[in-house]
Amino acid sequence: MSEALNARGLNRRKFLKMTAIASVAGATSALGADESKVLRPANAQELKEKYPNSKKVRTICTYCSVGCGIEAEVVNGVWVRQEPANDHPISIGGHCCKGADMIDRVRGEKRLRYPMERVNGEWKRISWDDAFTKIGTKMKGLRDKYGPDSMMFLGSSKVSGEQSYYIRKFAAMFGTNNIDTIARI
Amino acid sequence: MTNHLGDIQNSKCIFIIGANPAVAHPVGMVHILRAKELGAKIIVVDPYFSRTASKADNYARIRPGTDIAFMYGMIRHIIKNDLYDKEYVKNRVYGFEETAKEAEHYTPEVVENITGVPANQLIEITEMMARAKPATLIYNQGLTQHSVGTGNTRQTVILQLLLGNVGKPGGGCNILRGHDNVQGASDMSNLAHSLPGYYGLAEGAWKYFCANWKVDYAWMQSRFKAPEMLHKEGFSVATWRFGVLEEQNAKNNSGTTIHGMMNIGSGLSSISLTDTTKKAMEKLELCVIVDPYFNDMGAIADMKNNLFMLPAASQIETSGTVTATNRATQWRNQVVEPMYECKTDHEILFQLAKKMGYYDELVRSLGDGKGNFKWPEDATREYTRAIRSIGLQGVTPERLKAQSENWHMFDTKTLRGSGPFKGEYYGLPWPCWSEKHPGTPIMYDDSIPVSEGGMGFRTRWTPKTPDGTSLLSEVELKGTKSGVKGHDHITAANVEAITGIALTEEEKEKVKGKSWSTDLSNILVEKAMQAGLCPYGNGKARTVVWEWIDKVPKHREPLHSPRPDLIAQYPTYKDKDNHYRANIKYESRQNEKVWAKEYPMQLLTGRYVEHLGTGTESRSSIYLSELAPEPLLDIHPDKGHDLGLRDGDMVWIYGTTGLRIKVKCKFSTRVAYDTASMPYTYSGYHAGESILGRYPKGLEPYAVGEASNTIISYGFDIVTTTPETKCTLCRIEKA
Repeated sequence: MSEALNARGLNRRKFLKMTAIASVAGATSALGADESKVLRPANAQELKEKYPNSKKVRTICTYCSVGCGIEAEVVNGVWVRQEPANDHPISIGGHCCKGADMIDRVRGEKRLRYPMERVNGEWKRISWDDAFTKIGTKMKGLRDKYGPDSMMFLGSSKVSGEQSYYIRKFAAMFGTNNIDTIARI
Repeated sequence: MTNHLGDIQNSKCIFIIGANPAVAHPVGMVHILRAKELGAKIIVVDPYFSRTASKADNYARIRPGTDIAFMYGMIRHIIKNDLYDKEYVKNRVYGFEETAKEAEHYTPEVVENITGVPANQLIEITEMMARAKPATLIYNQGLTQHSVGTGNTRQTVILQLLLGNVGKPGGGCNILRGHDNVQGASDMSNLAHSLPGYYGLAEGAWKYFCANWKVDYAWMQSRFKAPEMLHKEGFSVATWRFGVLEEQNAKNNSGTTIHGMMNIGSGLSSISLTDTTKKAMEKLELCVIVDPYFNDMGAIADMKNNLFMLPAASQIETSGTVTATNRATQWRNQVVEPMYECKTDHEILFQLAKKMGYYDELVRSLGDGKGNFKWPEDATREYTRAIRSIGLQGVTPERLKAQSENWHMFDTKTLRGSGPFKGEYYGLPWPCWSEKHPGTPIMYDDSIPVSEGGMGFRTRWTPKTPDGTSLLSEVELKGTKSGVKGHDHITAANVEAITGIALTEEEKEKVKGKSWSTDLSNILVEKAMQAGLCPYGNGKARTVVWEWIDKVPKHREPLHSPRPDLIAQYPTYKDKDNHYRANIKYESRQNEKVWAKEYPMQLLTGRYVEHLGTGTESRSSIYLSELAPEPLLDIHPDKGHDLGLRDGDMVWIYGTTGLRIKVKCKFSTRVAYDTASMPYTYSGYHAGESILGRYPKGLEPYAVGEASNTIISYGFDIVTTTPETKCTLCRIEKA
């Protein structure tokens, strides 16, 4: 939506402001005939910057092992724009199609949104409390019944170094060397 | 990678075997193309005429699974024509004679017969590579995913050692790794054969980590079924399925089969025998999957109950370290808070540890030890302090953050910093021996002092071979003060003798019983560097691994060979029991039948630039899915004609797994007549049937298709159990 609005020279903040006025006024269409009454001219900062007062964050692409730089622009906790990092020493402003799509990997429609359990062949939404209790009880149950080697842990090549270290430690303290990852292949 | 991407620009010749960076590492490919602009020659050896091959000066179409023979052909020509670096080999390499003896067999004609590459082309390529100084070598999963994968990768190193290209700018052996933090995950050893930092599983390693984790070794032993189980490698990502399905493996797994699995973000449809994974999962009593997206195994396996799918925060919604393919670590900043109800992976671990009663032990080494800590910085400090085996002790959150905020201060070709970062390399590539050390951009470079990023080969095994030959280097490291040439790794016992530096009583007390990799005071490392020596020794690289089945690499036909006539001369290994706890077949599978009779074609698998791994993430992108919506089977037009196909027809591919998959064919001369190729990054169909109904409504990926690994042949590397996905036989019929 923000892209469409930008094409009209608007931005998210102004759009919110505008719709707020429009709703107070009870207008049926904020972009209709009454537009001139609810819009104000952009100020100098707004003309100069696409997202005034945005926060710029340098981060790293999560796809492949090249480690390309990304300049993320955040407004009120929302990632609104992505630029390749022109001065990053490895990617030098380059991005492949996957890296260019990082912004949508965060806010994409297909993200898992809440914990789920498959019950009699159907997916059911459950709470985190439920999930932790059920899983913790079952894992401990398997450990008690068959021993710790009855569990297999798989780590990830996509978590951070810290998380990866803790996955290894978690498995060790569970009591097994049945811990591996796709990094092997 | 021994070197790094920017350094490829220093190369005069780039030899790419079993890798397709144009597709798998497009931004890495930019550096290769820059080198080409500067005059470097590109050689590509691959059964598939890839996008990378389209940029090659010389492209050789090799038969899959014959890389060792090909490189022996090169080695033989190099030795016969005195093209090897004699001085380098004498000073820094052990085992030349045995390598030369083994290479003798691989004449250009023999190599042509095995590999399919014409004899004259082998010589052309060898001359091009050997006469270029320096030349770099790049490989990837095209070499590793074989029953002889370990031999393949060793062979690349042997080739580069003979040419004197290891330890030089523009040279090296450079594996381009897959996922963003696959190097980090390896370094943290989410690996069944080791504790973090490749310390292994021996008692000393466990005691070292127990001390770092602030838990008693006896407590840790009590957590395992029996004390000896601490020291046995576990099931791997490839073998665990046999741990579920085959009772016979319980004897290797403290008497039990596997009943539960927790998968924190590993894609599993990207490894072979997808159907075995499916069957294994369906037998589990508990399966927990943690992922930002719906992991496709949750749908491929039809688990009716006991399957949990937990939404993980992506790495953009948390912060921490990420280690790139060149061993350089970057600080990845959090951009936004976790979306929806997603939780970070560590938070999930912490909550589960609380439920199972070992949270206190899990976080005891963080912050004040009582549960008050700052994530991720305290965890970064914890792991870099502990992992000295690859020199992470110089990598601190503060240094990494400062570098990432100032990445514009580093040179793109050398990674060297300027201004406040003068004398530092970007990402502090390991080993980074201390908080003052700059990192090591090019491994094994003995022409610069260790304190500035130089090093020798590690004396990892022993300073002497079983027959008593010295394995120490015959050249001094640059800046050595004590006149020592090769030397053993530094321990409390030998530090004074080797470095010539006397330790104070206090220092002696601190390092008592320690070595360079376990001394938390870092005194041993500092003394070594002070004397210009390398903490882990200065040895010779060995081309002979006397404790392995193949002491030198040997060509062995794949388990499913398209050349049954060569099996008798180049047989595979004997079956191997307790191979990562499973009974793994080699010769019994190879000899089960004449596979090539029933399955006359070879199936290659690779990638599209739009998708990575299982495609779980990228196929959930509407844009990337529009660009690459379905898997296509590349088939040669002549073959298509002979099979009665027209471009775009649907075909059945029958695999040696006994299953078949249905895909659309695309006529293409990228493949040879008897070879077909398809991407492995799809799922959503299984053996001709849609499984989209098993996804939670609305979470089906945009791009769907058959997972090639459903029909990829059985087979595993003899050392690592990496699946042999690159040597598959199949039969193709019109659907």
